[in-house]
Amino acid sequence: MDSRDELAARLDACQKCNMCTAQCPVAKVNPRFIGPKGLGPDMERFRRGQINLDETMLDDCSNCKTCELTCPSGVKITEMILGARRAASKARHKNTMGLRLGLRGYILGRNEYLGKLGVIWPTLTNQVLKIKLVRLALDKTLSISKNGPLPAYGKPLKIQPDKVGIGTNTNKQVVYFPGCYTRFNEGDTGRILIRLLEHLGYKTTVPDFHCCGLPLEANGQFGKADKNGRYNLELMRPYLEAGIPVITSCTSCGLTLKEDYPKLETSSAQLIGAQAYDLFEFLWQLHEKGELPLDFQEVRASYGYHPPCHLKAQGIGTPALRILGLIPGVKIRNLDAGCCGLSGSYGFKAEKYKKAMKIGSSLFEAINVGSQHGDFQSMTTECGVCKVQIVHGTGIPTEHPVHILAKAYRLID
Amino acid sequence: MREISTQVVVIGGGATGVGILRDLSMRGIPALLLEQGDLAHGTSSRFHGLLHSGGRYAVKDDKAAQECIEENIILKTIAAHCIEDTYGWFVFLKGDDPNYLELWLQGCDQVGIPVREVPLEEGFRLEPLLTRKAARIFEVPDATVDGFKLLWSNVKSAEKYGGTYQTYCKVQSLWLENGRVIGVYAEDLITGETLRVRSEIVVNAAGPWSAEIAAMSGFNVDVLKDKGSLLVFNQRLFNRVINRLRVPGDGDIFVPHQTVTVFGTTSHTVELPDDHQVDEQDITYLIELGQNLLEGIERQRIVRSFAGIRPLYESVEDQDQEGRGVSRNFVIIDHQKMDGVQGLVSILGGKLTTYRLMAEKVSDWVAAKLGVHTACRTAEEPLLNEQSAEVWDKARQLIGVAAADKMMERLNEQAGAVVEAIARQPLLGQFVCECEMVTQAEVIHALQDPAVNSLDDLRRQTRLGMGTCQGAYCSYRATPMIHEAFGGWERTVKEYRLLLAERWRGITPVLWGEQLRESELARALFLNVLDLKAEESEG
Repeated sequence: MDSRDELAARLDACQKCNMCTAQCPVAKVNPRFIGPKGLGPDMERFRRGQINLDETMLDDCSNCKTCELTCPSGVKITEMILGARRAASKARHKNTMGLRLGLRGYILGRNEYLGKLGVIWPTLTNQVLKIKLVRLALDKTLSISKNGPLPAYGKPLKIQPDKVGIGTNTNKQVVYFPGCYTRFNEGDTGRILIRLLEHLGYKTTVPDFHCCGLPLEANGQFGKADKNGRYNLELMRPYLEAGIPVITSCTSCGLTLKEDYPKLETSSAQLIGAQAYDLFEFLWQLHEKGELPLDFQEVRASYGYHPPCHLKAQGIGTPALRILGLIPGVKIRNLDAGCCGLSGSYGFKAEKYKKAMKIGSSLFEAINVGSQHGDFQSMTTECGVCKVQIVHGTGIPTEHPVHILAKAYRLID
Repeated sequence: MREISTQVVVIGGGATGVGILRDLSMRGIPALLLEQGDLAHGTSSRFHGLLHSGGRYAVKDDKAAQECIEENIILKTIAAHCIEDTYGWFVFLKGDDPNYLELWLQGCDQVGIPVREVPLEEGFRLEPLLTRKAARIFEVPDATVDGFKLLWSNVKSAEKYGGTYQTYCKVQSLWLENGRVIGVYAEDLITGETLRVRSEIVVNAAGPWSAEIAAMSGFNVDVLKDKGSLLVFNQRLFNRVINRLRVPGDGDIFVPHQTVTVFGTTSHTVELPDDHQVDEQDITYLIELGQNLLEGIERQRIVRSFAGIRPLYESVEDQDQEGRGVSRNFVIIDHQKMDGVQGLVSILGGKLTTYRLMAEKVSDWVAAKLGVHTACRTAEEPLLNEQSAEVWDKARQLIGVAAADKMMERLNEQAGAVVEAIARQPLLGQFVCECEMVTQAEVIHALQDPAVNSLDDLRRQTRLGMGTCQGAYCSYRATPMIHEAFGGWERTVKEYRLLLAERWRGITPVLWGEQLRESELARALFLNVLDLKAEESEG
């Protein structure tokens, strides 16, 4: 079956039950959004004729993939929507608004370059981005919301281009795919992760990857996204061929590696799907093999946990929760209160900001209620932008779960 | 008994009948069309939806081929909104008869059907599902045509010229006096009232029912009722009409029709003009034949099957021919010559593609009898005026491009009011039928039309219930609107049952795979949650 056949088969599988629409975080807050079924399989039947679609409606989807996770018939709903966006982007209107949104898509998709610029002088960048006038200008010129929680830049994660190459003990070697957020906004998380893996006896290589491509794809930059994918796969190729796993700490990068990269036309695309692991998925496997040291120190802290949409879409459950559950003293509550609303760069867009905050409102409420009742003092979640949005929406401190694990191993305070 | 008088009574609300009504009306001849059911409930909607280029008849029947290509060009101009100019391919497979290919090319050349050979590589790129057994591909100006839309446009246009019509009005007998037909007796099936219509001429355009109409007064017309079964696939498998290049036979045409693909047909002579039952053997047979053009056809989701009756004219020379061998030409029978009775004419045979020409010829005959000298203008005057771009744009903004375009094509000149309603009350823009994207505003609008007497009529006007779910969700969503329009829960529930029974009749012969899952879901919904029982369809 070629890919067109597969997609056709999945379109046929849709039973029109609307379970996806019932679960869609965007549909929940926007009654005029026709929902994933409408935008995906319903319209797909029309798209198979020669009908041009209203591209602004396609942009209402935040690409969180909750629909694909929900669908009882295995319909690849988000993939259909993205495919339609891909087709629409080729025939985009050439007017001022189109140009402005095109430029915004270009910029929001290029978090990697923004990151590289931002970390040259992080304090300056952060200060400039805090100036109201600057944000107003971004809002007016590029429709980037003046209220959206643009993440701050920090000391970047140092890349360790492979000097040693593939060692003799490939069993104790991993490749780390940090992703733009960890690399430019939260280098600490990456450094802690590398120390942690070292502590477990793993040598970590961090090649000079480009952005995974997901933000590009979500902002209609499909050609560039594919190009990044192929570039990154080429960097991974020798490791993949040697059977070395690729670890991600960002759930969106992880999903892209697992779901999108296998579709690219290069030899290593065949391998990546089976060799890409979320950090905690990897650690849980070690635990199941009895290879995870359990000499934890007690960590007296309580956390609320937010499972990111793209973690759910990976279909691996919540391995971070299971690992953190092994640590004595740690109290953790899975809030599972839905999408945070930011969904990559969706919530940065001027016309989406309010919707994004509304989508996140049930999560914010759960966090506020929980923290007011004293159930937990802070939050933990794997996804960087979820974290940014949670802090923006509630003011509750939030960190990546690797920090908690590192404390238990006495690697940090 | 109510009595009406008019100049011409047209019996039959199929393509030919409405074409005649429009033609006569445009010539200033008062006419009334009587239809026993809803418009297009017979052959005019029970077909492939193919606007022939004539390619199919190029070898065997050059007259039919000639008429098809000429009408094809005319209809693409006057009825552009009912036609999707998809083009069609004739696909010659490895091992097919090369002599036929030669004859076909010559035939097309002779009658003026433009043929372009498509390089195989381009062919497979444009139609990825096409069989790799294809050896040569030829493109002709085939297209797809929406029977419902075409018929309604003809009627609406006729009305502007003073033409009238009545649906659910069944002709009971011809009114004969002194060897002359001077009208008809008919029953209004909705009110039960008997009607006497006085007219100078009666036109029998009842398609498969023509013989029954003629027989009412003891006249004999030879109509061969030839049943063809078709399958409806859930999605567009091809974007062009795909024909097999060989002697025309069963199961050799795929037509992308709106959001679905229609594939057929078969050919069996039947007794009853409304024998629309699809046999299971026919399904198996069709799927087997379909493999030749589309490998793996059995994996594609089929949403339903249906059958239509071709009313073929059996001339004396054709008497020993079966369905496929009978000419697709049409014939006008002047019953004065045949039976010595004045004032009655029957039109038989033909194809939907040539409906306008058939109407023109009949109207010429009628006009001559009545001494009217106005010439036919149906080949030049479009069925519709240009749509206002402003209304169209507004509709696209309100409900999205895909839904708006389909709605605008269906509603035409009446679209303004519906778009306005949605603009005033955005929630009216939500879809009652999500599969075919039919808005609440359009449903309400259609239900106000006096010609819409049932949920099934609503379906024909709007496409509600014709998509993937086959009425599973849209029918109950339409409840409050149906209740408002028809009144009473008993009636509402009855409408449900009839619609579901009708949908069910088409689904049962293809009940496997995804459609079986869908039906189980629908069954749980209606029989358990809503506690409904299925009811036999009357139609």
